[in-house]
Order: sequence, then structure tokens, then C-alpha cells
Amino acid sequence: MITTILELVFVFLTLVVVAYLVRHYVFTLTVIKNANRRKDDAEPSEDYQPSVSVLIPAHNESRVIGRILRRMTELTYPKNKLQVIVVDDGSTDSTGKIVEQYAREFGYIEVVSRSQEQGGHGKPAVLNAGTKHAKNEIMVCFDADYYPQRGIIEKLVARFVDPKVGAVQGRVTVLNEPRNLVTRLVALERIGGYRVDQEARDELRLIPQFGGTVGAVRRELLERLGGWDESILAEDTDLTFRVCLAGYKVRYVNDAECYEEAVDSWRAYWKQRHRWARGHMQCAFKHLWGVLKSRNLTFWQKVDGLLLLNVYFLPILTLLSCYVCILLFFSTSFQLFTVSWALIAISFYSFVGNFAPFFEVGIGAYLDGRKRAGWLIPLLIFSFVYNIVICSKAFVDLFVSKLFLKRGSCWHKTVHSGDGNSYIMN
Amino acid sequence: MIPDGTPTTFGVLILGVSSFVLIMLLPAILELKKPRDAGPRRIMDDAAMSQLGIVLASLEPKEEQMELDLAILKRLADVIAVLPNLEA
Repeated sequence: MITTILELVFVFLTLVVVAYLVRHYVFTLTVIKNANRRKDDAEPSEDYQPSVSVLIPAHNESRVIGRILRRMTELTYPKNKLQVIVVDDGSTDSTGKIVEQYAREFGYIEVVSRSQEQGGHGKPAVLNAGTKHAKNEIMVCFDADYYPQRGIIEKLVARFVDPKVGAVQGRVTVLNEPRNLVTRLVALERIGGYRVDQEARDELRLIPQFGGTVGAVRRELLERLGGWDESILAEDTDLTFRVCLAGYKVRYVNDAECYEEAVDSWRAYWKQRHRWARGHMQCAFKHLWGVLKSRNLTFWQKVDGLLLLNVYFLPILTLLSCYVCILLFFSTSFQLFTVSWALIAISFYSFVGNFAPFFEVGIGAYLDGRKRAGWLIPLLIFSFVYNIVICSKAFVDLFVSKLFLKRGSCWHKTVHSGDGNSYIMN
Repeated sequence: MIPDGTPTTFGVLILGVSSFVLIMLLPAILELKKPRDAGPRRIMDDAAMSQLGIVLASLEPKEEQMELDLAILKRLADVIAVLPNLEA
């Protein structure tokens, strides 16, 4: 009886992994097929230039805030249609002074200061505070450590000429990639995630994810949806699904690029991915049923939405499948499987199932003209194993917090060293 | 083929797996030791601006040369101005 249950669990887990495997290959082949095709989409035009409010949440970002504010002054978007709002969330360093200096010099830059008592309740709360001061039609969000293209606003807002587009996401490129192994692996992950994953989702008219930074959203829609959900750690994923479930589209623009300063230590990597995993899992519990029953999503959008919502459970399911395999291997009575079949299945998981995302990253690097960067792809197996531990911990933490009804969240933000500045000057 | 548990078999298995892992990681080790990757993807406008900077930098000596030529021409013009009009 127990063996039969284990075998059925094993079959279910295999089907889940195969679903993600197929998704990876479909995305990669879609991007390869459309690599040289020019999209028939809206191009930036002077005929359509809506007013834009740029939101930059900041908490102790004195090492990087000056860089992005200087970049805001270099943007090519008409300054009479631009409003830059920096929300200083109870910073204890010189972030506030730097921002006030820019605000005094440039009329379209303003600072919203939150006290230490008001602040420290997470990025969604900061974004909501900034949104109250936004006056313009489209809101664009940047994290404080980002460094965008000068023409990025035009490229992001061009898609809003379609009234059914609710949010637009741009591409993130790692600025401090050469720093160490961690930054190089993160850069590879970004290449796979944006150049292939997001691009394919947009090509196939599925659900590109709004990433919360280098992204734009209609202010009126955001307000109608109730603003950012302050109880969710992954407010970007949450907004993605709320936008789609409300009948709007999310688009991805690969040409709208922005540099970011990636985490440069395994400890920082853990903190960041733990936050993402936990937030994503919160979104999965919140939106799973909504996605299944939505009349605004096509069948394939529902499939993609479910796979996206549950992506951070996949490492946990992979770990579970290994346990089930070991139990089946040592079980004395096989009904359905032989030992050989269990070994073949494990091999299938390890090579074909894991190879699919690595293939995706490799193609992304190739399309970016970075063939040599692809030589580091085998090292991603270590970050994959690390992510199994991170996601398992995140799930346990979420379960415990639900069990003990722990409410509220604080801003476990990534600390930025500002070492990306040297790469820009070079 | 299922291992029959003898030490030789296990030894061969371990050696095989180790070799496979080493071969798989060899390109990564080579790239880390001697990186030849071009580096982070340059965002278009930054790449274009740096190219413009290179072009402008290459033009600077020519501008100085043009100024020198103009100075010489001016001096020649001054000299010619005081010469008698030979056609008169």
C-alpha cells in the first residue's frame, strides 16, 4: 500500500518536472525561431508620450542613490512630462541629504521622507507611500542601485499605446558581473530569465512577469487594484497576476535595458532568494484558484501562470522526488517499478530535467554574443542545489509564520556596496 | 546494468562519475582561470556614447592642427597684404 502511494507520488512529481522541462524547451525554441525577427509592436514615438512618474524607493542607499539620480537628469524623456519621486524610507545614512540636493537643483525630482517609525515595513509600503504623491499617467519603478538607459522611458511607455496593456517590464543586465563567481552566476541566471524566459512569454502572449523594477504600470489601474499588497514579500509577482486577472496584459520589452548591481556574496544571495521564494509562494497561495477560474486568461496563459506561480516549489519537489526514489529503491516489494526504472527516472531528472534550464541560459548567452560566458553554465548546478535548500527553508518559514499567524513584514533589503560605479566609469 | 557490489565495481563507478564531473566542469574552470568573456552586456546608449567619445578623442589632435594651419594662413595673409600689387 505504502509502496503504491510512493509510486503514485513519484509519477506525479515526474509529470510536474516534465511540464517545466517542456516549458523551458518551448521558450528556448521560440526565442531561437524569432531571434532575427523584428516585432510588429509599438516603437517609441513623439506622438505618444504620456506623463510619467518614476518611483525610486530607498533605504540607506547613500552609495548608489546619487548615481541613479544623476541618470534621471540624463534621461531623454521630456522633463515637462516627468516626475521623479524618491521615497526615503527612514534612512539613517546620507541618502536623504543627497536626494534633497538633487531635488533643490531639479524641479521634477522630489523626495518623500518617511521617519524611522513610519518606515521599515517593506518595499510595498514604500511604493504605496510614493504612489500617493504620483501625479502622472504611467508609473515607472527603479530600485536605487539601478542604472537605466537614457532612452528607457520611451521604450517602456510605447507599449501603453495599447489600452489593454496594464504593465510593461524591461530587461535587467548585471553591472558588476566580473566581480566574483556569485555575480557571474547571477548574470547567467538573468540572461536566461530575461533574454529567453521573459522574451518567449511575450512572444507567445503568455504572462511575462512584472519585476517590480525596470517596470511600468498604469497609475489609474494600480489605484483601482488597491495599490501594492503590503502583506506580500513579492509585490511584483502579486501585481503581475492582479493585472492579468483584471483583464489587462503584461508586456516585456527586451530593448529597454537597465544595469543592476547584483548580490556579490552567497549570504546576500541566500537572503535575496529566500525573500523571492517566500514571496512567490505567498502569491501562489493567493492567486492559484483565481488563475484557474479566471475568464480573462486563455488556457495556455493559465498553464503558464500556474507554472510561474509554483516555480519556487520546484526545487522542493525535486528534493522530495529524490527521497521518494531512495525509499522506492530500498522498498522490498515493487508493484509497478523495477530498480532499473527508478535509476532511469533519476537519470532523467538529473540530466534532461536539469539540462533544460541550462540550455535556456546557454541560448540566451549565445544570442547576446557571450558564448564564452556559457562555459560557466555547469557551475549553475551548485546554485541549483543551493536554491533547493533556500526554497525548502522559505517554505518552512512561510508555513511556520502561517501557523503562528505572524503578520507584517520588514524590509530585508539587499545591501548595495556601490562597486558598480567603477564598471560604469570603465 | 546493476552494480553487483564488489569493490572493483564501486571503484570503477566512482572513477567514472568523478571523470564525468571533471569533464563537465573543465570549461568552467578554464574560464574562471583565464577569463576571455567580453564582460557585461553594454547597454546600447552607453556603448554608443563611449564610441562617440573615442571618435571625439581622435578628432582633437586634428582640431589643434586645424588651428595651427589657420594661424599660418593668417600670417601668410598678413605678409601678402603688405606686398605691392604686382598686377597693378
